[in-house]
Amino acid sequence: MQLTTASEIIRFAKELEDRAAKFYDGLATRYPEAKEIFSSFVKENRKNKILVQRAYNEVVTDAIETGFSFEGFEADPYMIDVDLAQGADLSRAVKKALEIEGKTQAFYATAAEMSRALLADIPRTFERIAKKRAERNVKLTPLL
Amino acid sequence: MAVLEEPIKEPLVLKNYIDGEWVESKGELQDIVNPATGKIIAKVPYSTREEVDEAVEVAKEAFPEWRRTTPLARVRCLFRLKELLEENFEEVSRVQTMEHGKTIDESRGETRRGIENVEVAAGIPTLMMGYNLEDIATGIDEYLIRQPLGVFSCVAPFNFPFMIPLWFAPYALGTGNCIIVKPSSRCPITQTKLGELVDEAGFPPGVWNIVHGSGSMISSALIEHPDIEGISFVGSTRVAKEIYRQCGENGKRVIAQGGAKNFMVIMPDGDLRNTIPAFMTSFFGNTGQRCLSGANAVVVGEDDAFYKRFKEAFVDAASRIRIGYGLDEAVQMGPMLSEKAKERVLGYIEKGIEEGAKLILDGRKVKITGDYPETCFLAASIFEDVTVDMTIAKDEIFGPVGNIMRAKDLDEAIRIIHTSPYGNAASIFTSSGRFAREFQYRVNCGDIGINVGIAAPMAFFPFSGMKDSFFGILHGQGQEAIRFFTESKVVIQRWW
Repeated sequence: MQLTTASEIIRFAKELEDRAAKFYDGLATRYPEAKEIFSSFVKENRKNKILVQRAYNEVVTDAIETGFSFEGFEADPYMIDVDLAQGADLSRAVKKALEIEGKTQAFYATAAEMSRALLADIPRTFERIAKKRAERNVKLTPLL
Repeated sequence: MAVLEEPIKEPLVLKNYIDGEWVESKGELQDIVNPATGKIIAKVPYSTREEVDEAVEVAKEAFPEWRRTTPLARVRCLFRLKELLEENFEEVSRVQTMEHGKTIDESRGETRRGIENVEVAAGIPTLMMGYNLEDIATGIDEYLIRQPLGVFSCVAPFNFPFMIPLWFAPYALGTGNCIIVKPSSRCPITQTKLGELVDEAGFPPGVWNIVHGSGSMISSALIEHPDIEGISFVGSTRVAKEIYRQCGENGKRVIAQGGAKNFMVIMPDGDLRNTIPAFMTSFFGNTGQRCLSGANAVVVGEDDAFYKRFKEAFVDAASRIRIGYGLDEAVQMGPMLSEKAKERVLGYIEKGIEEGAKLILDGRKVKITGDYPETCFLAASIFEDVTVDMTIAKDEIFGPVGNIMRAKDLDEAIRIIHTSPYGNAASIFTSSGRFAREFQYRVNCGDIGINVGIAAPMAFFPFSGMKDSFFGILHGQGQEAIRFFTESKVVIQRWW
């Protein structure tokens, strides 16, 4: 799936955050031993969604190339699969989480690079979220 | 990608907003059609002259008390309006797309630009300050104060139906004047939506009024009215010039912004990778219905290989523009405002071919994303071998048509720009500071872009324009708007 406009990228980013929030919410219920970490991720996903929307709403103007900035952006590699098999143990769930985080970080990094032509707020927000998502690896890895 | 939900479910019947009330007009109603879907989304009244007079009367009555309201209290209304605009950001943007046809990205951009003007005007307690000097003679001080004048009016165009009244209204109101906004008769819904938010923000009755109707009738009624202090207008050069003349005759202040024919100069050292997206937005954004749109691309130099690379990249990108209903977030270009507007552009394409320009991208055949009637849709067209004497190079087409010209050097490119009677905007795409400076120094246009395709001034700068693109002295937005809406009074003071 190709995304071209800033609107599409923002929508995609928000969908990634929504899907991740739903995923971690499920993990928090299924794995009480790691509930605190997963719940904090859910909270952060919701905040990220607001950050992305705000960055876009506050800088979008008719003068910048919002309709053309993401020409050729292929979204398929960043689609995340949030389905976890029934009975999967915590280690398997964490592997899945790391896979989601890897794809999401890559999405934000690419989107940041491609949005350099927009005002600074958008790439900065993408980079900030990519960094926050990368920090999750440190919290997730010990749970393997 | 799914089409976003339409905020207008049933056709609206628009009313005037006079003295803080929504008032049904006695005038006849005209249909407002969504240019993408062909569906009627509203009916707008063509108000009578008596209704215009009534609006002026209530604004005049509201003025003395509004003027006495402290600047801080006045801008608190603007702060509340800003908050309401943020809360309604998405709805206001979608309404623009429905009534005008522009893409949702473009509508949101327009909403943001409008809000920025409210934000800047909220600084009026500082911006409106005068200045003083002690001891101009022994024991005598002199100071300047800025005072509001009374009732102003704003006649808005269709292409930025939400934003353009906000180049003026917040400054008029913040400085203590009252205003009558005449929305575009073709895109009047967003101003109505704005009026609802104005009402909710708590502006006193009579301070901000909206009268719908015919541009020519209402403009004349306002200009001739003895209680109107000034008028702001954005539209065609023919009408802007006429309004300027009438305002002169009637002793009114005036900001009259007209048409444009903007040149985009690309130097051989220009960065094509970044230039092409800028050209797409400039030439085809808002479906070319914008007074800052690029119209004539001037490729500088005798390097045929560079010219070929530019041309191919420009045509390739333009041919891939996704066209459809602007509420589809994947769409990059919406329809023209109306079938009539489309016919006008088609006429220019025919004219270009007749006069010998080479049509290298034919936008008359359009592929629409989604199931929508072709009525108002056009794809991007590009001509090459265009010369300055051709009609398509001279007239403002106001549609998605780009012309390519060549110039041997920057001097010739600037001479080409100066053949146009317009002077709204011009841009240069280069890696050279020397070329850029030369360009900004010599080009007689009000808004200069350097590696920027749409040189749209931010709210804290004036929206400039020269030659046949602007009639007046002070411009909309920022400090110049403050000066337009206030009179400078000088006081010389001595106490015994």
